[in-house]
Amino acid sequence: MGRRRIRNNIRKLRFNANEMTQEQLAEKVGVTRQTIIAIEKDKYPPSLELAFRIALVFNVSLDEVFSYLEEDTK
Amino acid sequence: MTYEEEIQEKENMSYEEKNITVSLVTQLLIAGYYVASWWNIYQSGELAPNRLFGLWAVVIAASIFSTIIASILTNIVLTILEAIQSKKYEEPRFASDERDELISLKGTRLAYLIFSIGVFISILVFAFGNPPVMMVSLIIFFGVLAQIAGDILQIYLYRRGF
Repeated sequence: MGRRRIRNNIRKLRFNANEMTQEQLAEKVGVTRQTIIAIEKDKYPPSLELAFRIALVFNVSLDEVFSYLEEDTK
Repeated sequence: MTYEEEIQEKENMSYEEKNITVSLVTQLLIAGYYVASWWNIYQSGELAPNRLFGLWAVVIAASIFSTIIASILTNIVLTILEAIQSKKYEEPRFASDERDELISLKGTRLAYLIFSIGVFISILVFAFGNPPVMMVSLIIFFGVLAQIAGDILQIYLYRRGF
């Protein structure tokens, strides 16, 4: 089985949302800025609740923010 | 990402991370003091229980209270420093989020694992004919070591992202 990764478009969505900063997004969803940084870098997979909160901030569906990919491991 | 954000990304750790760093430094100092004092007692010829009881009491009390006091002092100092840097007072954010809690759980799990192994080793040492004070000394040592290992794992996870 390949390695699984949750990818995200948060950086692009922030840019489109009037260049929202990581700090502003963190405040809106109730986490620290470091957590937003970790999510953007695909280092930390957020909980389902946090993922929904992020999608709500940008007023888009969950799959427009996050995608689930399976990478081939060779 | 703007230049300002790039700079921000490289700088400051979260409050939780800073607290753990302070806790790690404190625990390392306590471990150093404990090992040095224990060695002094050991070198004096015998593991005198009356001297060891005092040492254990100091180490256990220091381990509990130093972390609490260090955490409070860190928060106060950081709030003052941030206010000076930004030239305005901002409400400090000490609350931890879900990532902090998961990292904390991983650190605690490792600490428990190391402490459990330590207790097992200490009992084995006692079973092989060493005095009970040796067993208790080892249990306390592994307690401090477990805390240090848990803190190191947490800092590593924070640095890596998760």
